[in-house]
Amino acid sequence: MLVDAYSKKVFNLAYQFAGGYEEAEDLTQEIFFKLYNTLPKYDFNKNFTAWLLTLARNHLIDQYRKTKWEKKSRDNFNEHLLAADSHMNPEEDILRKESKKLIWEGLNRLSGNIRMAVILRDIRGKTYEEIAEILSLPLGTVKSRVNRGRIHLAKILKEKKGRGNNEM
Amino acid sequence: MKCKQIQDLLSSYLENELSSHDRAVVEHHLKTCKECSSLYIYLKETRFSLESFPEVDVSENLSGRLYMIHKKSMEKKKKRFMRLDFLTMPSLQPVFAAASILMILVSLYTVYPDQAGLNRTVDRQLHLGYNKIEKLYAQAESLTSSLGEHKDNILYSLKNLNLFGGGKEK
Repeated sequence: MLVDAYSKKVFNLAYQFAGGYEEAEDLTQEIFFKLYNTLPKYDFNKNFTAWLLTLARNHLIDQYRKTKWEKKSRDNFNEHLLAADSHMNPEEDILRKESKKLIWEGLNRLSGNIRMAVILRDIRGKTYEEIAEILSLPLGTVKSRVNRGRIHLAKILKEKKGRGNNEM
Repeated sequence: MKCKQIQDLLSSYLENELSSHDRAVVEHHLKTCKECSSLYIYLKETRFSLESFPEVDVSENLSGRLYMIHKKSMEKKKKRFMRLDFLTMPSLQPVFAAASILMILVSLYTVYPDQAGLNRTVDRQLHLGYNKIEKLYAQAESLTSSLGEHKDNILYSLKNLNLFGGGKEK
């Protein structure tokens, strides 16, 4: 069933993009509603996951433009993400937790289009070709957006962590 | 190259997608520029952090809401199907069979090479049939008139026969 196979993927994409747990739940519900309504139009020659992610991306970007989430704060990183992160060992906990927290908050400082490209590439692990298909963009534009997003986040990390190190 | 140009290449450098020339240029710049070298270290950390973001499970509440959408969609589809359900009624099967035969005949007629000859044959057969009907009609007419002449005799005979409780009283 579509719900079993894709709800986690869609929900996580919505959560990483919007940053709010309840917001992401509502967005996932809206995306599935759209999915069931547009399913008869699905072209069976196309990759279903890419088609679904395009649908999800369009909805998320539309909602982003309407509501401007960047003005809202994201959920506290510790609330849901840390609980789900079972792979962390105590040492890594100290070193990486802070970076992850800063990156999580920093995602809100990226524009919707750049944020989506970074999430698809680095969190969802999609290839540049897959992202170009999902976003309907040339490969060069996708690579440029991912690089800009990463550089922006790296600068945030450098600024915050550098400041922390200097203070020590 | 300036720092901005180098920064545009940093992701490709990180993912090993640069030509050997560009790679050498970036490597040389990173050795000489503290700012970009430090940024590159944070870029690697950013990528690592993003890649290791955990997946969050879907809550039971959301799953329930999504199953409800699925259920409603299925019901809608079923209703749409039920509107055309009468087409599967057994009583309509002879109608569909007759319609199919008619369509086959029409399609055969349209592709038949000698349509004019076929038309003539059909026309002739129709006329023959019509003539036969006319003859039968004429025969029926003459029989009626000859029966009319003997009508009184026939009625008299029928009255005198002991049929249906009729006949002469004894």
